[in-house]
Amino acid sequence: MGATALSAVTGSRIDEEWAVETHALTKRFGENVAVNGVDLRVPRGCAFGYLGPNGAGKTTLIRVLLGLTHADAGTMSMLGHEVPRHRDRALARVGAIVDEPRFHGHLTGRQNLEILAAAREHAARGRIAASLERVGMSQRSDDRVSKYSMGMRQRLGVAACLLGDPQLLILDEPMNGLDPAGMHEMRDMIKSLVDEGRTVMLSSHLLDEVERTCDAVAIVDRGKVIRQGPIADLLAGSDVEVNVVCSAPQRAQAVLASAMRGTRIDTDGDSLTVHLPTGTGRDVIAEINRQLVHDGIDVYHLQQIQVSLESWFLSVTSRLGESA
Amino acid sequence: MSVVTSATPGVEAGAAHDRRGSWLPTGAMITTRIMELRKRRGLMAALAVVNIGIPTIFLTIRLIAHAVAPKSYGPAGGYEIFSALVAGVLFVFGFIVAATVGCTAGSIDLSEGMFRHLVITGRSRLALYFARIPAGLAIVVPMVAVGFTIVCAVCVFAAPTKLYYQGIEVPAGLSQTGFENWASQHPLDVVCGFPYREPIGVPCGIRPDGKIVTPPGTNIHTIPLSTLKADAVKIARGLYSDYSSRFLSPSTSLMVKSGLWIELEAIIGFIVGLGLASLMGQRTVPVIMMIVLEIILTPLFARAAIPHLINFQRGLVGLATAHLEPSGLPQVFGGGGPGGGSQLVPESTTVAVLVIAAWLVGWTALGAWRMATRDA
Repeated sequence: MGATALSAVTGSRIDEEWAVETHALTKRFGENVAVNGVDLRVPRGCAFGYLGPNGAGKTTLIRVLLGLTHADAGTMSMLGHEVPRHRDRALARVGAIVDEPRFHGHLTGRQNLEILAAAREHAARGRIAASLERVGMSQRSDDRVSKYSMGMRQRLGVAACLLGDPQLLILDEPMNGLDPAGMHEMRDMIKSLVDEGRTVMLSSHLLDEVERTCDAVAIVDRGKVIRQGPIADLLAGSDVEVNVVCSAPQRAQAVLASAMRGTRIDTDGDSLTVHLPTGTGRDVIAEINRQLVHDGIDVYHLQQIQVSLESWFLSVTSRLGESA
Repeated sequence: MSVVTSATPGVEAGAAHDRRGSWLPTGAMITTRIMELRKRRGLMAALAVVNIGIPTIFLTIRLIAHAVAPKSYGPAGGYEIFSALVAGVLFVFGFIVAATVGCTAGSIDLSEGMFRHLVITGRSRLALYFARIPAGLAIVVPMVAVGFTIVCAVCVFAAPTKLYYQGIEVPAGLSQTGFENWASQHPLDVVCGFPYREPIGVPCGIRPDGKIVTPPGTNIHTIPLSTLKADAVKIARGLYSDYSSRFLSPSTSLMVKSGLWIELEAIIGFIVGLGLASLMGQRTVPVIMMIVLEIILTPLFARAAIPHLINFQRGLVGLATAHLEPSGLPQVFGGGGPGGGSQLVPESTTVAVLVIAAWLVGWTALGAWRMATRDA
């Protein structure tokens, strides 16, 4: 998936290229605008992260997409079907977990899936065993759900998603309740689903997990999508940071500040961090080293820091502004 | 490891072929709903105790008591027991049982978080609602039928062999002529034992207030036997309608009609409970409301016709159902009754049927509408 694809479609035209497409989608709860004119495009066949601070409207957008609640304005489509007009056709090939997955506690996991399969096409019933096996729940499928841990319910939720042989999976905080091993398995499962040609759209506050799992992300803040695109492209547009460990950090800061006017330089113990603008070349980093050595400062370590999704996320969302 | 996959994930034709947008539920949906309800062991056990256990325990005690001391305790079954159990127990308890199942079916998906999963399947919300109706009735109707069958069986096979009318042994199943002939042959039993309202010149009898009147110094034998017989026949003629509704055991016709009648009441309880719980999105309060309606409000408004509220009273589904009560059963809520007895709230059968239909359709529409519009 490329950045050009992300910018290729505008307006409300339904395009088969997108697994999910919204235009000016709005949902209000009284005075509170939970989803504020969202234009979202989720490419097919990728893992797509939907990120935002708590209360940013992530779950509300998912609920609107799935027809769990009604939109107040805007248009949307899933898998090329306009919703809610063709909701049944769209959801026929969508699996989703919204919020905490809950089931009938007095029934077994398998029986819960039987109820859900009955609401889908006839073939769904035949996928129950395979779905349970895929999420590692075969051994416990005949236990009552009331005895399941949160992680097991999460797995059962994913198994429920798989009943419809979905083209699109929408997972709301899928890592919730999973232990590290479970998170690793979930990550692998998402990757394998994408490898099969399915689209996985997940919301999460675990930015590290999203960075490791997803190909593209959208950042939502206060109901609005403020950035979206492939992770690599988004991070490429961020500032460059250079970490320097040297013999005299304070003097080094003064030297570099003099040589590179307007550049932000932070010191921390025996190291300093130089913040360079986007697009800074490697020659600038080499120049930093030369300048310090020229002034008699011993340089022990010099490294360009890879900007993480987390730091980039914080830089573009309101949380950074609040904490600053 | 087998995986859920296909050469082309998610073939698009799915929804078009399974009529997912149709409001009609599939057989599989109904079957799994039945399973979901049936697996609620606590609920099923409670319902079985109320609807089957109580009449069964009552009849078992009577069977044992009669077997141990037949002179002290009459037969366990018979017409009187049948009519009392049907009109007094099964009618009310069947409604409450059905309403409880209805309220459970109408709210439990929402409260247990399954409603969201079901909506995400893309299946019509109306189909999800309508699947609950046959599923719930598949639980309620057999449960009511089992309780009723037990009552019928005991009342038929453990029925008394002699008919005691007003405490006097009378041959059962007499025609009016036969009853009058029997009365002329037992004038003292009739004149002194049977109730009558019109004074007939015999100073012996049970007045309308129920007291036996025997004026001091009265010698009944001073009355000519012919007069006594004539009076006895006159009394018998007036009481034949009541006598003819008394049987040793319930007739097949009465059992069939009674069975259909209490099933109708149970179906009403289920449908209304389903709609009410779906509308409110919870179970407890609707169950309480249904019980209050059945055992407090309806009997209260059945006690007297209130001119300013007469149409409201007619609109109560319990009173409407009572108007359809088979003749031969004691009155329920002041309607129907033996020989179409007194009706405190006058209402034609047509109006009663329309009231019942309106409750069924109205609550179904409300429940389905709420389910279709509710945030999941």
